[in-house]
Amino acid sequence: MSTTLHWLTLAAYLLGTGVYLGFVIWQRRGLHAMGRAVLWAGLGLHTCALAAAWIETGALPALTLRQSLDLFSWALMAATLVVNLRLEIMVLGALSAPLCALLLMAAAVLPLPAAPPPALLKSTWIIIHVLSLLAGYGLLALTCLGGGLYLVQDGLIRKKRLGAVFKRLPSLTRLDSLGQQALVAGFCLLTVGLITGAVYAQITLGSYWRWHPKEVWSLVTWLCYAALLHTRLVQGWRGRRGAWLGVAAFAALMFTFVGVGLLYSGYHSFEALPTLTGPLP
Amino acid sequence: MNLVLIGLNHKTASVDLRECLAPPAGTLEELHHQALALPGVREVLLVSTCNRVEVLAVAEEAGEAQAGLEDWLAQGKPVARQDFQAALYRHQDQEAVRHLFRVAASLDSLVVGEPQILGQIKEAYRVAAEAGATRTVLNKLLHKTFQVAKRVRSETRIGGSAVSVSYAAVELAKKIFDELKGLKALLVGAGEMAELAAEHLLAQGVGEIIVANRTLERAVELTSRLGGGAAYSLEGLERALAQVDIVISSTGASQPVITWEMARRCLKARRGRPLFFIDIAVPRDVEPKVGELDGCFVYDMDDLTQVVEHNRAGRAGEAQAAEAIVAEEVVKFTAWLRSLSVIPTIAELTGKAEELRQAELARTLKDLGTLAPEQAEALERLTKSLVKKLLHDPIRFIRDQGHKSDEAQRTHLALARRVFSLSQDDQD
Repeated sequence: MSTTLHWLTLAAYLLGTGVYLGFVIWQRRGLHAMGRAVLWAGLGLHTCALAAAWIETGALPALTLRQSLDLFSWALMAATLVVNLRLEIMVLGALSAPLCALLLMAAAVLPLPAAPPPALLKSTWIIIHVLSLLAGYGLLALTCLGGGLYLVQDGLIRKKRLGAVFKRLPSLTRLDSLGQQALVAGFCLLTVGLITGAVYAQITLGSYWRWHPKEVWSLVTWLCYAALLHTRLVQGWRGRRGAWLGVAAFAALMFTFVGVGLLYSGYHSFEALPTLTGPLP
Repeated sequence: MNLVLIGLNHKTASVDLRECLAPPAGTLEELHHQALALPGVREVLLVSTCNRVEVLAVAEEAGEAQAGLEDWLAQGKPVARQDFQAALYRHQDQEAVRHLFRVAASLDSLVVGEPQILGQIKEAYRVAAEAGATRTVLNKLLHKTFQVAKRVRSETRIGGSAVSVSYAAVELAKKIFDELKGLKALLVGAGEMAELAAEHLLAQGVGEIIVANRTLERAVELTSRLGGGAAYSLEGLERALAQVDIVISSTGASQPVITWEMARRCLKARRGRPLFFIDIAVPRDVEPKVGELDGCFVYDMDDLTQVVEHNRAGRAGEAQAAEAIVAEEVVKFTAWLRSLSVIPTIAELTGKAEELRQAELARTLKDLGTLAPEQAEALERLTKSLVKKLLHDPIRFIRDQGHKSDEAQRTHLALARRVFSLSQDDQD
């Protein structure tokens, strides 16, 4: 069930990508409306697919890399569509849709979890921990995308190349506020995710903080974003500088999310998580 | 029946003259009534924008109505008569239709392809219609005009890009600030060009214009004309700079008045909000290095002209395509306009025939005494069908005259009227 829905979701995202590319080329508002509808439908299917997987295994599907990428794809699409309700950055769909499709395809080639998930990871704490972090990742990915677009548009205006790309990209102010709003919301979710994770670690594993690489990197990432938020809101580091920092911080985030889980062993690695059963020594 | 159009626009008249003739807001309805009261004027439409004042009228006799409208337009206005006469253009019938189509399609605008003019004509039409000043001809003409403008917009890309320098500057500002509503702009130097650009910015929604000028008096004078923002002398430039988002500089200074250090200090105070410099002064007022600062964008006259040229090149072809559409629609509409002149003759002919038929029928019915209702009905049907068939060809002949030249139309219509001995007096 969840696999069928998974493929349908991928089909919808690919279709959405196609329609959005058409929109970017021909600039017809009708195409944008159509692309948006397709992506909303895709997000609905994706939600159903995740729910089905959740019901089938009994735990939030976020234990392996495969499941995490799938969930991240969902979070990115949800963040894109929700942010677009407010800011109407139409070109965003043309970036998010192919990214989400790629993530889904990457997830599809990775192995399925072998064992049924441990009871330890079925707690509400874990659900909040994972969902708020993933939603935060989705939003911070938008900060990064918005920052990238900002740098492109800024460069074009500065170099006075006012061609087709310049016309299709939204204004600097709008891209900047996309970055800022996604950053504020994403940072809050990141904080909630870290706190719930620490609290649940105390409850089940016996300590808030074990200096596991995943924890350390999470803290580093969180500090990066805290600094980013501070410089932006207090010192007014917006524009090019803010955009660059948003992109750099996202690189750290991605390393924490994927890299640390693969490179380091330990209880929070993608390898060890599905077999985590009780307090650690 | 004739269409008459008189008016003046940014090409034929100076701002002062246009200002003098522009009707004050709120008097438009009354003005329509006044114009309708002129001899021979049957329908009328007044269009007044900052770039044009035009009167379009449907008249029984073109020359008389035109002279009347000219006198009326100039009456009581503080303008020299010969200036006014020289600035005026006068169009009739086909040319009047063409002119209106071109104006609405924004082919006659200061910034060709700018979209506001259509809305302004729609508004003018609404006012005229509410004043009861438009009837068959103008209603049809204006609806056609809106269609033509729409067609030009959708079938050509004339509205697609910017043409004039200030338009280009506004487009750029929109790509930086998203929308201009509520932004503040600063004029450094109080030249005429800067004033024009400032007016354009205000029209686009910029909230406030402040002025910094070498002489404070001139700055104050200018701000009072541009909505009453603050005025500074050049010593206060840095203070003024910190408050605004868009800067238009046009001083005659030989050295840059806005230096890199000044801009950098300003940006700090602005906490990263972008600052857009439009430097239309030659030599330049803004140090080129300013453009390297984060959040500072500097466009000088050459940059803007380049943008404009780039757009204009693509637009010449579009304007030609638009003119072709206008020409095509003018022909169609003029055909309809001409066909109007044959309608009274047709109406009169059918009226006369119907009158005769009814008189004859009444007499016959009286002679025949009492008839069964279906017999009476059969007679009625018979006479109607006879009249209809007999008149079919003459009516077609008359209707065809609508597509002939004026001269042919006039002689043939007169002939038809003589053949059927219709009244001769109201035929023009």
